[in-house]
Amino acid sequence: MAWEERGGRRYYYRSVHRNGRVVKEYIGTGPLAEATAQLDEAERRKREGEARAWKEERRRMEELEAPIEELCEVGEMFARAALIAAGYRQHNRGQWRLRRGC
Amino acid sequence: MAADGGERKKRRQESTAQESAATVNELRALIVRVRDGDERAVPRLREILRKAPELARRFVDPAIQTERIIIESFAGGDGGQVVREVLPRTLEALRIELGGWSPSPLERLLVERIAATWLQLHYFETLYAQNMDEMKIPQGEFHQKRIDRAHRRHLSAVKTLAQIRKMGPAVQINIAEKQVNTTG
Repeated sequence: MAWEERGGRRYYYRSVHRNGRVVKEYIGTGPLAEATAQLDEAERRKREGEARAWKEERRRMEELEAPIEELCEVGEMFARAALIAAGYRQHNRGQWRLRRGC
Repeated sequence: MAADGGERKKRRQESTAQESAATVNELRALIVRVRDGDERAVPRLREILRKAPELARRFVDPAIQTERIIIESFAGGDGGQVVREVLPRTLEALRIELGGWSPSPLERLLVERIAATWLQLHYFETLYAQNMDEMKIPQGEFHQKRIDRAHRRHLSAVKTLAQIRKMGPAVQINIAEKQVNTTG
């Protein structure tokens, strides 16, 4: 959204997506353009607020996931290590079988 | 003085975390070596497992902390006190049901993993159901993917415990605090 000044007058334009391209749309000048610009600004702030809230929500969720993911990875690894120590070997990354002589 | 003590404690915790991470990396490398047929890695792997109870605890504790945060998030809405009372008891009942009264350190780790993944899955599903109407399509997809991941983690946790149980006591005792041979 932008104001352009020409010949001492201000003209309000809005950037919009049309057919996959960003184009400049002329809105007008005077009180109506002022009111439209204020509404656009309020809408932009609302969108920014929503995007910030969503980013914060994602960050919080990632923080909740990380220690549990780590616990899962370590648990899996200990289980594999315990199986190996007890004489088991994984057959073609599938079934665990007891080695001969164990 | 108190600040010095706090600093020392922080440094100790950082050093312990680094040590744990190094041991886990070594264990990971040893598993790969055995998988590739290098049996010389097995004695060192057994040696690390003897230290496992303490090592395992270092990963269980942060997960328990996370469980508390999730319970608090759950409790944020109406009926919070009920959630604070009921969820920890439900988790404890789940742990006892899966691990019994005196699980081996490996079982405790795997049971904790199941409890944590169960709670996480339950939390994500509830969050999604509560906010579904207000979500945009990309947000909905993000939540769905997160639920799918949590679901996979939970199933994998259950499968691993079942596998260890199926293999019998030898596997569990190898990782216990005192190594005892019960298979002979």
